[in-house]
Amino acid sequence: MNLQIKIHPRFHMKPLVVILLALMGIAFIIAMVRYANGIGTISNLSNSYPWGFWISFDLFTGVAISSGAFLMAAVVYIFELKKFRPLVRPSVLTGFLGYTMVVIALLVDLGHPERIWYMMIHWNHTSVLLEIGICVMSYLAVLAIEFAPVVFEGLKWQKFAHFIHRFIMPFVILGVVLSTLHQSSLGSLLLIQPAKLHPLWWTPILPILFFVSAISIGLSMIIFESTLSARYFHRGLEIHLLDKLAKVIPIVLVVYLVIKFSQLTIAGDLKYLFTGGLMSVLFWAEILIGTVTPTILFSTKRIRQSANGLLLSSVILLLGMILNRFNVSWFGITHPDPITYLPAFMSSVHYIPSLPEVLVSIGIFSAGILAFGLAVKYLPVFEAEEHHGTES
Amino acid sequence: MTEIKHKTFLFDATRCIDCRACMVACSVENKIPMNKTRIWVAGIGLKGEYPNLERASMVYHCMHCNEPDCLSACPVGAYSKRLDGPVVYNPKKCIGCRYCMNACPFGVPHFDWDKGLIEGAFIDKCTMCPQRIDIGLEPACVATCPTEALKFGERDDLLKYAHDRLAAQPARYVNHVYGETENGGTSYFILSHVPFNELGLPELSSRPVKDVSEEVMGFTIPFALGWGAVLTGLAAGVHLYNQKKEADARKLETSESQAEEKK
Amino acid sequence: MTNTLSRRDFLKVSGATIGAAVLGQFIPPWVAEAARANGMLDATNSGYIPSMCEMCVWRCGLLAKVEEGRVVKLEGNPDHPHSNGKLCPRGQSGLMNTYDPDRVLTPLIRVGKRGEGLFRKASWEAALDLVAQNMLDIKQKYGPEAMIFSTTHCLSQSQFESLLNGFGSPNYGTQRSLCFNAMIVSNLTTYGMEEPDRRYDDLKYIILTGRNLMEAISTSETSALSQAIDRGVKVVTLDPRFTKTAAKSAEWLAIRPGTDLAFHLALINVIITEYLYNRQFVSDYTSGFDRLASNITQYTPEWAASITEIPADTIRRIAREFAVAAPYALAHNGWRTSNFVNSFQTERAIGILNALAGNWGVAMFPASGEESGVLGTPPQPPYPRVSAQRLDGVPWKYPFVPLKIGVFQELREAAISGTPYQAHGWFISRQNPAMSLPDRGRTLEAFSKMDFIATIDILMNDTAWFSDVVLPEASYLERYDPLNIVGDKAFIRQPVIEPQGEGRSALWIYKELGTRLGLSDFFQYADEEDYLKQQLAPLGVSLDQVRQTGYVELPSEIGEFSEPNWNTPSGKIELYSTTLDQGGFAAVPQWEEPPAPQPGQFYLLTGKVAQSTQFGTQNNQLLHKYSDEPRLWMNVTTAKNLGLANNDLVEVASTAGKIHIKLEATQAIRPDCVYLTPGYGHLSKGLTVAYGVGASDSDLHVTYTDPISGGQALSQTFVTVKKI
Repeated sequence: MNLQIKIHPRFHMKPLVVILLALMGIAFIIAMVRYANGIGTISNLSNSYPWGFWISFDLFTGVAISSGAFLMAAVVYIFELKKFRPLVRPSVLTGFLGYTMVVIALLVDLGHPERIWYMMIHWNHTSVLLEIGICVMSYLAVLAIEFAPVVFEGLKWQKFAHFIHRFIMPFVILGVVLSTLHQSSLGSLLLIQPAKLHPLWWTPILPILFFVSAISIGLSMIIFESTLSARYFHRGLEIHLLDKLAKVIPIVLVVYLVIKFSQLTIAGDLKYLFTGGLMSVLFWAEILIGTVTPTILFSTKRIRQSANGLLLSSVILLLGMILNRFNVSWFGITHPDPITYLPAFMSSVHYIPSLPEVLVSIGIFSAGILAFGLAVKYLPVFEAEEHHGTES
Repeated sequence: MTEIKHKTFLFDATRCIDCRACMVACSVENKIPMNKTRIWVAGIGLKGEYPNLERASMVYHCMHCNEPDCLSACPVGAYSKRLDGPVVYNPKKCIGCRYCMNACPFGVPHFDWDKGLIEGAFIDKCTMCPQRIDIGLEPACVATCPTEALKFGERDDLLKYAHDRLAAQPARYVNHVYGETENGGTSYFILSHVPFNELGLPELSSRPVKDVSEEVMGFTIPFALGWGAVLTGLAAGVHLYNQKKEADARKLETSESQAEEKK
Repeated sequence: MTNTLSRRDFLKVSGATIGAAVLGQFIPPWVAEAARANGMLDATNSGYIPSMCEMCVWRCGLLAKVEEGRVVKLEGNPDHPHSNGKLCPRGQSGLMNTYDPDRVLTPLIRVGKRGEGLFRKASWEAALDLVAQNMLDIKQKYGPEAMIFSTTHCLSQSQFESLLNGFGSPNYGTQRSLCFNAMIVSNLTTYGMEEPDRRYDDLKYIILTGRNLMEAISTSETSALSQAIDRGVKVVTLDPRFTKTAAKSAEWLAIRPGTDLAFHLALINVIITEYLYNRQFVSDYTSGFDRLASNITQYTPEWAASITEIPADTIRRIAREFAVAAPYALAHNGWRTSNFVNSFQTERAIGILNALAGNWGVAMFPASGEESGVLGTPPQPPYPRVSAQRLDGVPWKYPFVPLKIGVFQELREAAISGTPYQAHGWFISRQNPAMSLPDRGRTLEAFSKMDFIATIDILMNDTAWFSDVVLPEASYLERYDPLNIVGDKAFIRQPVIEPQGEGRSALWIYKELGTRLGLSDFFQYADEEDYLKQQLAPLGVSLDQVRQTGYVELPSEIGEFSEPNWNTPSGKIELYSTTLDQGGFAAVPQWEEPPAPQPGQFYLLTGKVAQSTQFGTQNNQLLHKYSDEPRLWMNVTTAKNLGLANNDLVEVASTAGKIHIKLEATQAIRPDCVYLTPGYGHLSKGLTVAYGVGASDSDLHVTYTDPISGGQALSQTFVTVKKI
């Protein structure tokens, strides 16, 4: 077998690389300032808003958009639908990089990043955040293992690649279990704040809603990543596969809508749909953009079978669902405001992320994009089908 | 065995003159930096229109809940509740995730926004002055209150005292002891002449805020195991089914090719 | 360094002052040694030492918790009747007063211009020599009366008076005319004593005129009032502002400023015309009832209603309620009664109201005197005769003002005008006339007329900022002071830590200065401990014993209530004051119409907050942390009508001056009034926390003096307010 790695068409994006590196550099400097002088010096987080942009964007959104990996692994390895093979490696790569970005972001957001491993040895079993922490860190290891063969093939260490492939199943199952747990637990994080999260979103079945929507997000991410890669890396697009995936999305979304509106009805919170002011607007935005519109779009064959249609529809769903994550973790939350505050430095503040805060997230995200590009360039990310057609 | 009783604060908003001696005393006793406080003024302050006015404010600090939400939420168990009442924060375990700040319905834990890695950024909150109560003194805030708006003692005693006051002067108070049942009961009772939300206190039922979260968390391991088993079974089943299909297909192939050969 | 400050909190001190807190490394740790010997501190220099607070004049007893030679916490002393184990916010913040990074810890001699804040460090010898030299120069050139001595009343008062009187100057400035002259002189003429004690235990009804006890905290009295309210005592508060005391009162009457007098005259009118007064008490213990009665008939509630803006029915009802509750009823005589020129008459009316209720021995008691003869004093020769007139017009212009109290603002005016003669020097001890006297511009002008100004202070307060020599006193936690009698005990103030830097007690400073002035005969004590031993000698108690417990019990004649006796010409409570009559003033309370603001002007009110004491605590970081931002209060509706919004920057102007300050639009004040918390707007850059915060009402206050009591009428200043 000729195992030379074909050099894929270079992405002629040197200016892009420079920009990405610059953004990473800026983020790095800001992070260093944060480590020296405290989170408050570079962010607008405060006692009134201890969680803000970083949690909503890096944690909630970051984890959500990495949900393609476990879906593809399940489809290909558990349900043995081998034709979806070509989609596995890119989605695992996306997941791996996504979760790595989450962990890096946590290393900036945590007060004691050097103690992040405490979650592995100090366990408070009632804590949702513990579960997320353990699952994220464990799943990152699982993703590393699932992606290792790609690396090994790139290094031409075929034996190691084969070895891992043979024992991939337990890790796939573990990965699905871990992903199910923490995708839903991100919703559970809010269970302990019933008074702070607006009734349009707070419900004891938040974890279920989060999991169901995570499926739709994962599928959309696979579609999004594939269509985008095809465009920028000048490779073929497996529209027939994406079409099949896209067909599932409306089903998932309808299930989601049914659960969501049933929940609102049973809880007696339907009234907030129109009386909640800004909250109502945000809710309808997330539903219309993230659920209703994509249902219609992905139900349309013509759209499902066109590259642009797929890209556009997946972007719309992702934006809507990201809005949902932001709503649940930030926009929908009102911290208690004991009216008069003295001392003056305790006055309740409204939270708008500072520019350095946003730049840190952008920098981390840029690192992810750059890493993705490098991986695609130097590793056989898109070559599963070609080299290992007969491998199980 | 002597029963360890539960230490509790009682705040009477009708006695409080908003002098803030308690706050200065706390800052001194616990060596709090100038840009931080464990105790603060909350409330609408002035109520009404000239000349029909009323003042309403309260001394706000950790409620030392009986079912602490911070304790439930902290991933690494940095909070614990002493048998005699105080909710204790342990900076040695803290990873600075600030989930406790979200969990607390009263907005009590404060974070060191201005401390970097070397100094260490921790949570700060009222400790109930263990260095004082362990030697038989009252917390610093209580000890100095000139009008005895703050009292301290055993929960049962203070509850009785509070209810006695409500009974003795019904016109003076809202007929409720806040903290008796709220959030599963707290170690800080409040008596008030105005609705409690005007003192900045959230409306809470007797069901601890953390209950739903803990119930859902209780499902985690059973669910994980079950889901893992289901997936394993599914994988095995699919695999066997596919193997059989392949075997059948091969058999068919073989028999077809054999048939072919025979021809 | 200090336990309560993080290194961030260690503010940069203005380079001109030398304020860094330096631990007394070069002084042998005699405080710790002595305290250890006495068993108060253990081998690690940790323990509790009893002493007295000085954050206000209430002087609560405290227990200072010392750890390894540093005071780390202050607790109220349960044995002290003013504290009963509690400390108010200022008391709790006291160690920040001691450890303030802006402390002046060495003697300072001015090198720049006055007000530039440029000083050089000097030794005590050099500084004291300089002060003495200047004072003697002035004495020689212009006579001893050309030296003004002023201090705010404190425990070393008699040593200060030794300096004053020994030097031969009659010009004694105290803060009292800015505060309670009206109350004191009224009580002297009515009851023959400065201020009777009050007890709340048995009361059922209280009328407060001002006396914002919940904010101007006198710990034990504030507590007593709170407990009284707890028990169901009805409290009526007259105040143009809805203070925190008004908020706790059963009734708040938003009375028009300057008309408390009308209210009380009407109360007396009702009580007399409806025969509700205590006839037995009046007949046995008062004099002049008939003259009072005949004069009071004109002051009906209807008459008072239009003046005070309080309904006549309310006035009548309160009078009846008060009388029904009598003798368990108290009309509080207030404290800072420096409001209007007619405040003296108001005080007379209040005093009389109490007499009509017959509440002596129930609500009012003979004062437990500070100056009783039971403590020893060092011997001293008689003071030299002083022939010069006092610059403050006592007694030749103000015959009723006690010599020990004086009329401070008159003194300042005379320093400017040079009439009847020009003063040339000013010696100030623990006082801040640059902030406390009305019309700061004129005070600074008075300073400019001085050849020499020396100030004793612990911080670079405004007056120190404008002085030629600043002498550092040790803070109250670092020094001894003479014993203080409260009730039946004499309490000690003793150092709980080594004095920082070169700070010294006033006892030491006065003696050192006095010696250089040739007055050593008036300071016949070797040191502070010797002085205290001389005080204790008649009691047969050792100093060590007193230092351990914090007090010594006095022989039982003190403070016992015997047959009522009032030190007046008639020996009775004088409803009709013959003294006043002889002085040519109204002998029974008379209505005096107060001045009123013109359209577009407001009454400028002053008052107190619980987190500061007058003009000296604004630099305390602990108090600053928990203080409200000082803004100008204005009624919400008034503000709206003027087009002003909350937090607008406004210019407030009077005939004396103008200030810029943020506005606080509030419901808690009469529409025709504005209010400013005093004590802000410091000019001294040596107060790094307080400098630049808020504005000074002293820049606005116009000087008006009541001819009878010498009291300054602080609320007679009217101001305009406009947006900047």
